[in-house]
Amino acid sequence: MAVRLYEKLKHTVRYWLLRNLPTCQQTVATISESMERPLSFSERVKTRLHVWICVWCQWYLEHLVLIRDASRAQAEKAPELMTDATLSTDARERIRRRLTNQN
Amino acid sequence: MQYSSWPKNFDMSEAQVKSPYPAPDPERWLDDHGDYLFKYAVFRLRDDNVAEDAVQETFLAALRAYENFEGRGSERTWLVGILKHKIIDHFRRSSREAPIGEDFDAGPEHTEFFDRPDTWQGHWNADRAPNDWHATPAELIERGDFWKVFDECLTPLPQRTVSAFTMREVDGLKSEEICEILSIKVNNLWVMLHRARLHLRNCLEVNWFRREQ
Repeated sequence: MAVRLYEKLKHTVRYWLLRNLPTCQQTVATISESMERPLSFSERVKTRLHVWICVWCQWYLEHLVLIRDASRAQAEKAPELMTDATLSTDARERIRRRLTNQN
Repeated sequence: MQYSSWPKNFDMSEAQVKSPYPAPDPERWLDDHGDYLFKYAVFRLRDDNVAEDAVQETFLAALRAYENFEGRGSERTWLVGILKHKIIDHFRRSSREAPIGEDFDAGPEHTEFFDRPDTWQGHWNADRAPNDWHATPAELIERGDFWKVFDECLTPLPQRTVSAFTMREVDGLKSEEICEILSIKVNNLWVMLHRARLHLRNCLEVNWFRREQ
């Protein structure tokens, strides 16, 4: 009985919040801006509450952070990891000629 | 005319030997650092020809500025420092060639992600909503094929949006710096970054993470 009541209450609160908070479309834009500027107090509260009850936006936030972290890590290691990308023989010769003409 | 005080058999190379630093050797730079610089550049510029030009420009600038280097620190770090500027110069130039108007294209809005037939309009459409990726940055940097998909996902976006995304997410430049380089307002930058993230996240999920699981 108590469990059923708790579940019902949880559902009602969640429903009410989703109806009254900014939509997912608005929230993902705010999540992106939170990576660029400090959010206002009201934006922060609304976004936190939305992410708290919406697993899709939770994952969205996680993915943006993952993409940023992975890109930065990859950029640092790219020159060692990318084995197939090298200067073509043509490009190398062209640069060599250009450099020796300078002297 | 022969200067009387000019020593006979004067050899320039002797003067260079006396210099405390070795003469610049651009051909050796090319052999030692050419591929490294090219990979560094192509990851950011995403075009072989543009990256080749950036590498050539870097070596030419390095020759002109050699006296500033004078063997301080690592040669490669010094060259990468020059290359960074050349890459920024490219972004700045290509942005100048296409100045933005009122109706400039920041990238796809993807309103269909939030299109629902029920009363929840504006919330994720279940078919387009994010899923759990079960991934860490460390796992992803080992996967060359992931970065191919990443690259393909960025391709359909407008050039300026990709440049902004690269400077922000890859090199971690500040918003103000990027706005100055691309001559755009900060609100435009935020819209571009938001559209790039929305598009890239979905594209990676569809073309990589769903296939991996």
